[in-house]
Amino acid sequence: MLREPAERVSRRAILMWTVEALLVDVVLLAGQVVWWFVDSSPTRTAHWAVGGVWLAVAAGYAAVMPRWRYRVHRWESTPRAVYTQTGWLWQERRIAPLSRVQTVDLERGPVAQLLGLASVTVTTASAAGPVRIHGLDLPVATALVQSLTAATAAETDDAT
Amino acid sequence: MTDPPEGASAPWRRLDARMLLIHPLETLVRFLPALLAVFVARLGSDGDDRWELLALPVILAFGVLRWATTRYRIGDGQIELRRGLLNKQTTTARLDKVRAVDLTAKVHHRVLGLARVEISTAGSTREHLVLDSLGIDAARALRAELLHRVEAVDPSVAALPAPSGAAAPEPTDELLVRLDPAWVRFAPLTVTGLAGAAAVVAFVSQVLSRYSEERTAVRDGARWVAGLAWWVDVMVVLAIVSFLAVAGYVLTFWGFRLTRNRLGTLHTRRGLLTTRETSIDASRIRGIRLDEPLGLRLAGARRLKVVTTGLAHEQGGGGGGADWLCPPAPASVVTPLAALIRPDEDAVSGPLVGHGPAAHRRRLTRALLPAAALAAVLVVAWAVWDWSPTVLVIVPLLLVAALGLGLDRSRALGHLVTPDHLVTRQGSLDRTRVVLDRPGIIGWTIQQSPFQRRAGLATLVATTAAGGQHYDVVDVPVDRAYAVLAEVSPELVREFR
Repeated sequence: MLREPAERVSRRAILMWTVEALLVDVVLLAGQVVWWFVDSSPTRTAHWAVGGVWLAVAAGYAAVMPRWRYRVHRWESTPRAVYTQTGWLWQERRIAPLSRVQTVDLERGPVAQLLGLASVTVTTASAAGPVRIHGLDLPVATALVQSLTAATAAETDDAT
Repeated sequence: MTDPPEGASAPWRRLDARMLLIHPLETLVRFLPALLAVFVARLGSDGDDRWELLALPVILAFGVLRWATTRYRIGDGQIELRRGLLNKQTTTARLDKVRAVDLTAKVHHRVLGLARVEISTAGSTREHLVLDSLGIDAARALRAELLHRVEAVDPSVAALPAPSGAAAPEPTDELLVRLDPAWVRFAPLTVTGLAGAAAVVAFVSQVLSRYSEERTAVRDGARWVAGLAWWVDVMVVLAIVSFLAVAGYVLTFWGFRLTRNRLGTLHTRRGLLTTRETSIDASRIRGIRLDEPLGLRLAGARRLKVVTTGLAHEQGGGGGGADWLCPPAPASVVTPLAALIRPDEDAVSGPLVGHGPAAHRRRLTRALLPAAALAAVLVVAWAVWDWSPTVLVIVPLLLVAALGLGLDRSRALGHLVTPDHLVTRQGSLDRTRVVLDRPGIIGWTIQQSPFQRRAGLATLVATTAAGGQHYDVVDVPVDRAYAVLAEVSPELVREFR
């Protein structure tokens, strides 16, 4: 049995996931509003029913998913390997030996930029095996990228 | 390096001049619909200017231009391909990244003794270099040059002549398998064979239905068919589909042979009209895949594919079928062949470790639940909407089929760790047994759905740069998953214990 990875992601990741969940709700809301004005029938029961259902689901999702995800998401990087645990309902752990790492990317989406967060993607030669760590504090992410890049630069093999 | 000296001074080589004959032909075929449209439009008008003939010199000029501007050279540890007149493109690939070399010759190529060379390389861009076309001898020599570069000291290889010379396959090649024409009987038993046949049948029936209104012959035929007993119809359809599947098998695999040279490079050649030759460097092979789909399994047959890096993984890792090591053939042929390529008796044909009762239950649930839902819908349809009672006949059939599928799928589940390989098997209609080289595994994923967590199961995914990019050990007990991980990659597990 493997233990959990040592590090948690940033606490602000909860906020990031919440905002991202709410952004999807805004799109749904826009659809609902369009429907309200396009529909010519006098009764509005269907509108309230549909709106109520997705609002309940969306609220539950935005409340539960980010916290649950924060409890699950963990990562760890050693000189030999990088190890992550992600997901919430569907969970997974990924391990990639640094000797097989090909590229290390740092990405910052719009929400992540506002919150001072970043995600790190470590790719191997397998199309199925990128290891992603979301919601890291920017300084932590930068330091991680530097250490990973230094560790992988030493490898001259084509890592397949 | 075999022939060209190191440095940028390696001579540029050109495509074969005979491609000038092929290029206009291919262009013509490509523009055939447009030409037909012009022709039809011409029938309606009475003008007699033949302006479309002007296109001919243009097409020819394009061919000449392509021939004149396309060059390639090998030197300085890389192959360079340069083409284009105004928009010059240079593609470069390092020789040590060359993974496989594919020679394809369509009918018109073969008449002229040409072949299209496709060089697959690995790297972040996964580029393909295409040389269309070289003379067949030049193409083979180039292939030898690209794939044998590492052992250039070997005199028989170093002595290979420059691309203009003739290079027959070395006599020392070991013939591993050759197509036995009797194997075509397996063609209708595979999904690919059936799918191909179904596509043809669908196309033909669509064409026929378009004419069925006005053509009495078709209408009479349809009436005659409708008048027959239903089992005769079924037989006729089966016969047609089987015939088409056999035709597809013959077109694809005729003359199939797999050879292996001294250096371990696997070499396949196949095809009736379009011939295709694929060479796969031994150092690129990461394992093999034994397919035993239900139809083939019942007939005692198998097929064999190679798990290798550098074939385009967009097409399911097959690079368009370049990964076949043996077409559907009797197990008595395929299993020993697999053991020749991966000499590990346990991994290729030994018994596997089962995944236990929880995995067994999960297979059954996943097979039976959708079937039960569908059955419920049918019963409701009969009770509420007065559907014909024949739907009630389908219900037990459906449930029995689902049960059989679930049982077969749970029987298939298994894995094994041998000193050199990780073996995993799954599936019923599409059962495969993958023998993956342990050094070829470049990462691990352990996935758990909420249902798997409740059942104490996990899916262990071994990622690799080869073939399907990942191979899964499905629904294995969690502690067993970590045990496999620890056995195959002890140095990784030690870090996080």
